[in-house]
Amino acid sequence: MAINIKKVDRNVSMTFLERMYIPYMLHGMWVAIRHAAINMLGFFEEILAGKSKRQVMTLFYPEEYPDIPPAYRGKPTLVRRDDGLEACVACGLCEAACPPLCISIIGGERENGERYPVTYTLDGTRCIYCGFCEEVCPKEAIVMSDRFQGLCEYDREKMIYDKESLLVPREKLQKRLDTIRNKYFSEKRYR
Amino acid sequence: MREEDKERGYDFHKASHTETMTINMGPSHPATHGTVKFFLTLDGETIEDIDVEIGYLHRAFEKECEAQKWNGVFPYTDRLDYTASVLNNVGYAMAAEKLIGIEVPERCKYLRTMISEMARMSGHYTNVGAGALELGALTAFIYFIEARELLWDLIESICGARLTHNYVRIGGLTNDLPDGFRENVKRVFAKNRKLWDDFDIMLTKNRIFLDRMRDTGGISQKDAIAWGFTGPCLRAAGVPYDVRRAQPYLMYDRMNFDIPVGSTGDNFDRYLVRMEEIKQSMSIVEQCLEQMPEGPINVDDARWRMPSKDDSSTKMEPLIFHFKQIIEGQSIPAGEAYQAVEGANGELGFYLVSNGGGKPWKCRVRPPSFALTSALPLLVKGSMLADLIPTFDMINLIGGECDR
Repeated sequence: MAINIKKVDRNVSMTFLERMYIPYMLHGMWVAIRHAAINMLGFFEEILAGKSKRQVMTLFYPEEYPDIPPAYRGKPTLVRRDDGLEACVACGLCEAACPPLCISIIGGERENGERYPVTYTLDGTRCIYCGFCEEVCPKEAIVMSDRFQGLCEYDREKMIYDKESLLVPREKLQKRLDTIRNKYFSEKRYR
Repeated sequence: MREEDKERGYDFHKASHTETMTINMGPSHPATHGTVKFFLTLDGETIEDIDVEIGYLHRAFEKECEAQKWNGVFPYTDRLDYTASVLNNVGYAMAAEKLIGIEVPERCKYLRTMISEMARMSGHYTNVGAGALELGALTAFIYFIEARELLWDLIESICGARLTHNYVRIGGLTNDLPDGFRENVKRVFAKNRKLWDDFDIMLTKNRIFLDRMRDTGGISQKDAIAWGFTGPCLRAAGVPYDVRRAQPYLMYDRMNFDIPVGSTGDNFDRYLVRMEEIKQSMSIVEQCLEQMPEGPINVDDARWRMPSKDDSSTKMEPLIFHFKQIIEGQSIPAGEAYQAVEGANGELGFYLVSNGGGKPWKCRVRPPSFALTSALPLLVKGSMLADLIPTFDMINLIGGECDR
């Protein structure tokens, strides 16, 4: 253990030039101009040479997309199985685990005895994107997709998502499904 | 004084201070970050009296906890000090683990230490940057926001969210490090150090900045302790108290780092202490990544873990237990525990009481900025109105944390 105490220098030692104020001001301006130049030239580089990696922080947003990491928690979506039916069995675990109580399910049964959600309502105005629904789901039927656009509306009624609008085919969510099965919720986390 | 005035006992200086002016500053004022209202009594430009009104961001966090299951509280702790979310997660999880009496695996401790320091950096970037912004230094603010943006990209790649991370669970963590994380840390920290240097050039020796910060809002060691100061503001007054050093938790006793300490407790000391802490945090993150062993990140005890997705889709026993756990909540043994962590603003404590059920019986938070804000009248009374801005910046009231 080596946690030492260090006294900060509050009487900042200044050289003669720094005390003269104007040279120091020019130094500060030089820093600002350097940053501005990097930003300007960075954009020119992008336009002229089409380089993929550049030094500028900002993005040309609608044309250019940010890199979304696999861990990202976007809009919760229900998984549609390959046979066109929902993977959800209406067990109600996500409903119980959801901290802001935004999910409500009414379950039913098909002719072949399979349980399914008759209605599955997710209130987008209440959802806090915590990812507990995905964490507790035993059937991997609800996952946090990488979708972050179009989640705001002018009308609150439009933000209450029903089952049909939440269902997404499995192929589109395969990446996230693999990640949660093999990485986040695998035995590797515990042993 | 003129001769004839002297004869009839007239003092212009006294006569011009006849009445005071009361004004409202806030609740939404461009020069104060956070929603807080000051009710000021001014004599010219001198502050005679100040009344601080907090509570605009009150959302009943402590009561809300009683309605949530033990793990369901985590998303709400994120919203306490939202500039350094993970620190709150870690504090709550450690208090709950103390109550249960479990020890998390070593890798988990290292990861928690690392992500706590990243959160501290993000909190200090926001505070120092916003402080500069409110004194008019917009350019310097943008540099620190760029640094914070890069840092948030790192945190996002681990936790999955930029602001409300929801990363820690009772008995462990949600995710392990992603691929290529070490290289990203190297790249981001190199850039962060450059931006730190630029920020330093812009402000630390800047005359305007020095004039506004130095010798304003000072507090003595004795007063600081008496008012319950903790964190950077206490250390700026010269008291070397840091929870990481006084009661080492997680892996801090294996790290090499300095605790910056000021001498007079004025705003400039607070600024310098925070700037130095950013550097120390960077070095702690690097040390953590160096020393971090391989291994699990969660305790392997059925009561404090989720079944893996493979198990829950094939085995019956874990599935039944999983349902019971989620619907009733994990039952934590009855008792009470207090655990403090060093938050970005100071000692952040969680006091939990359990009655053996699936929900917290009581969850009390000790917010550092509440004690700091209560001393604001002491710091600014008698000084100019313009001194209120840097003092309030460096006190760093975070509405979410102070009002809860």
